[in-house]
Amino acid sequence: MKSKSNGKDFCIFALPGLFCFVAVVIIPFVYGVYLTLTDWDGVSSVKNFVGLANFVGVGKDSQFWMSLLLTFKYVVFVVVIVNVLAFAIAYLLTRGMKGQNFFRAGFFTPNLIGGIVLGYIWQFVFSRVFVNIGESTGWSLFEVSWLSDPTKAFAALVLVSVWQLSGYMILIYVAGFMGLNEDVMEAASIDGASGWRKMRSIVLPLMMSSVTICLFLTLSRAFMVYDVNLSLTAGAPYGTTEMAAMHVYEKAFTSRQFGLGQAEALILFVIVACISGLQVYLTKKKEVQA
Amino acid sequence: MKQTSVGGNKKKLANILSMVVLIIIFIAYMFPFLMVVINSLKQKRDIIKSPFSWLFTIKGLSFDNFVKAFTQMDFLNAFKNSLIVTVSATVLVTLFAAMLAYYVVRHKNWVSKIVFALMVASMIIPFQAIMIPLVNIYGGMLNILNHRLTLIFMHTGFSMAMSVFMFHGFINGNIPIALEEAAYIDGCTHFQTFFKIVFPLLKPIISTMVILNAMAFWNDFLLPSLVLTDKELLTLPLSTYSFYGTYSADYGTIMAGLLLCVVPILILYVVLQKQIINGVVAGAVK
Amino acid sequence: MMRKKVVKSLCLMLILALTSSMLGGCRFGFASDPDDPDEEVKEEPIDTSVDTFEYDDSLEGTSITLLNSKAEIQVALEKMSVEFESRSGIHVEVMPVTDGDSPYTKVVSLYNSGNPPTMAILDTTDVIALAEEKAEDLSAEDWISEAEGYLTEVNGKVYSFPLCIEGRGIIYNKAAIEETLGETFDPKSVRTLGEFEEFLNRLVEAGMEKPLSLAKEDWSLGAHHLQFIYETYDGTSEGAQDVIEKIKAGKMDLASYDRLGEFVDAFDVLKEYNVAKGDPLGADYDEMAIDLADGKTAFWFNGNWAWPNLSEAGANNEDAYGFLPYFMNDDEDDFVNQKIQASPSKQVMIDGQMSSEKEKAAAKEFMNWIVYSEIGQQMLVKTCNIIPPFANNPYEPSDPLSRDIYEKIHADETFNASAIVPNDHWSILGAAMQKYLAGRSDRDELMDSIQQYWEEQK
Repeated sequence: MKSKSNGKDFCIFALPGLFCFVAVVIIPFVYGVYLTLTDWDGVSSVKNFVGLANFVGVGKDSQFWMSLLLTFKYVVFVVVIVNVLAFAIAYLLTRGMKGQNFFRAGFFTPNLIGGIVLGYIWQFVFSRVFVNIGESTGWSLFEVSWLSDPTKAFAALVLVSVWQLSGYMILIYVAGFMGLNEDVMEAASIDGASGWRKMRSIVLPLMMSSVTICLFLTLSRAFMVYDVNLSLTAGAPYGTTEMAAMHVYEKAFTSRQFGLGQAEALILFVIVACISGLQVYLTKKKEVQA
Repeated sequence: MKQTSVGGNKKKLANILSMVVLIIIFIAYMFPFLMVVINSLKQKRDIIKSPFSWLFTIKGLSFDNFVKAFTQMDFLNAFKNSLIVTVSATVLVTLFAAMLAYYVVRHKNWVSKIVFALMVASMIIPFQAIMIPLVNIYGGMLNILNHRLTLIFMHTGFSMAMSVFMFHGFINGNIPIALEEAAYIDGCTHFQTFFKIVFPLLKPIISTMVILNAMAFWNDFLLPSLVLTDKELLTLPLSTYSFYGTYSADYGTIMAGLLLCVVPILILYVVLQKQIINGVVAGAVK
Repeated sequence: MMRKKVVKSLCLMLILALTSSMLGGCRFGFASDPDDPDEEVKEEPIDTSVDTFEYDDSLEGTSITLLNSKAEIQVALEKMSVEFESRSGIHVEVMPVTDGDSPYTKVVSLYNSGNPPTMAILDTTDVIALAEEKAEDLSAEDWISEAEGYLTEVNGKVYSFPLCIEGRGIIYNKAAIEETLGETFDPKSVRTLGEFEEFLNRLVEAGMEKPLSLAKEDWSLGAHHLQFIYETYDGTSEGAQDVIEKIKAGKMDLASYDRLGEFVDAFDVLKEYNVAKGDPLGADYDEMAIDLADGKTAFWFNGNWAWPNLSEAGANNEDAYGFLPYFMNDDEDDFVNQKIQASPSKQVMIDGQMSSEKEKAAAKEFMNWIVYSEIGQQMLVKTCNIIPPFANNPYEPSDPLSRDIYEKIHADETFNASAIVPNDHWSILGAAMQKYLAGRSDRDELMDSIQQYWEEQK
């Protein structure tokens, strides 16, 4: 394609999609950034320009930084577990075993249910089903509801997120494995003493493009966790599982400091953007050009 | 010879072992669904007192919850609304995103670079951060909320970035430019080339994006709840609102309602499954 | 093929679901007690033969909206709206606050969308936050005179219509107590915190191991429990406001504030006899209702809004349920040990900013209809199951909890105080209370969190 027809091409191919995207995402986002510079409370018809006062306020909101720290911890767990698990399952599902299509579909099903309902189901499972099992079997693991203990409630959040995200990632990894040719797969079958080494030195580099995508997707989704956080724990017990996105929402609406909440959302966005950017840069470098 | 047979046994063992592990994990994955199906047939008291038992309950099992969910949700109307919104938005976003991604891949100029970077970056904007500005602009300033078209438009816009990202990856790795050049030599315009040559080749990734987007639109709660308030326009997830009380929820009906919402998308998924697997296979590799 | 099987089974599922309407009522499995005559909730008949309300014909055909944040009366409000439309010609669209949204968030997004509800049922704090900028001044309405003592004023003006009175305290199940102790139970016989503890002990000795249910939800702990420390200052809303101002201004040392110490004493007693003592934060709201109705427990700290749950759990209108005060000390002359807290909770605000004059007039007519028409009066009490704050409403609520509050109001055994606290009070201090309930913090830490919360409000 030559640059002569560039303008026309742009109008035909790029403009419709770009218009929707800019109108729905970018303009409200820019408007939202402007709101962080005001003292707007969400409803008032008066918006006073307050400069960077809201960002100073973010610095003072110790709860926000706590929730951010917790979010980091959560992201590390989720990203590592999801990717390891999805990678392993995808590997098993591409070895031509019986019923692998059925399994693939099954692992994908958690994605069929929306976030809020999903959290409610799991809440039901943790607080009713597990406790019920605990009562009838006497297993101390299930004796008390997981959601009433800070550590276990956090574990529950990680578990549910892993459950929800891994199906999607399994699909991408499955695709990656199927793209490798037979010789590589054969070499990688873990039946010899050197299996693990082969996996690391031959398969993994070839899978790096899938890894890049999956890491990016899990990273950004884990940082933005909101639905599951709200419907599974709602920050309980006593505010110990409140993640950054939920804190932002609470700040804006429950505490009614809209500008402050918006400023925190912006800071969260910048942090995630930096981290994901770094991740994509690092993993891209390792990708083997096939 | 001896060596191989030992290796073969080992392999068999490994296979069986991995199958067992897989089945265990699979059951764990399916556990919540099993709970939903079982409890959707039970009365509230049984759900709370003995969520795990199936056959032995105080009140017995029945389809009452389904009947209640079906009528209270105004299922057919909500189904129609969901269908219109989901189908239109899916078609629009698939078409627009494919074209946009194609443009970005084939035009390596600064415009396409900025557009693509902007889109990737936007994938990490928390929805909560643009929620209020969004209703402020579309409601307060333009006053076009409460129309299906607005919702379709917004769904299209919000899923654009992710779709372009996926199409971009696919086109980049799987569509050889030589085919297009051949088409130009034959005198095709860009427009014709795209729809006659490129678009058919995108089939695998298209089916993947169709299912992913359709599922997201079908299940979405937050955005429709901001856009639609008119009862006649409510989508399926919105129509289950009445099952949640201020202090407690009507679990049985919620689970029945959930199954009613999920079944159509499950059918779509099973029908498209083969294409999806192939689509992702071909799509995400590079 | 696997896929075909899946498709087949899915189709089967769908068919099952769709044909279930025909199977409705049919039960299967092994049910130990399938038939429960109480399952169908009986509806109170409304007498529609008399209607002396004067409808304003010029408003006919007007359509207005009502945002409802009281989910349990959504269906009842829809019925009221149908009845009202058939008589006045005004259409009231009842919009629910959907799950996952707070009422305030919903109002905020509706105002932002330029499409605010004509009327909104909100909590008092929300009304105060919005009143002066958004709400219509209702100070000149007739019903003001009927709702004396239950009005919320902002700078001397009334911006909201009190929809209901709600009371909270320690709910008892008389039958469960009498069965356990083998003697008749007179709620008046328990007069102080000490006596209450003694009574709980007797129940334990008689075989009811943990006689009390305590909700773990932050709104219950942070709003319904903790707000007693402001509301019992002198038992009035003004007093509650005073003490909050003093705490805010740093003029009151919480450590030496008697009511706070007494409150924690009282809470300690509740905590000790909690049925979920082993896992207090794992307590389930629905299970508490079932436990109380079954007589597994004798008490539940809650309000009259808990009736639908109890009724669903098998309690009947004829059963004897009622309230004990939230005992706070051993002084039997202290009003906290004699009276139940009961005050207006939900308020209706009319949008004064974007609605047309005609819409406002229609909304006002709807309010007048609730207060003055025979049918509106009946529907408020019987259909919505609400304790009306209006002196001219002759109907009595029929469920035992509301009836108990209603009778106590008329016998001067209630105190009308509601504290107006910042909107995040329940969530932030609710978390502190959860920590205390779970035994993860002590009395000092709880008091410190309260102190700290108020310091941040300056």
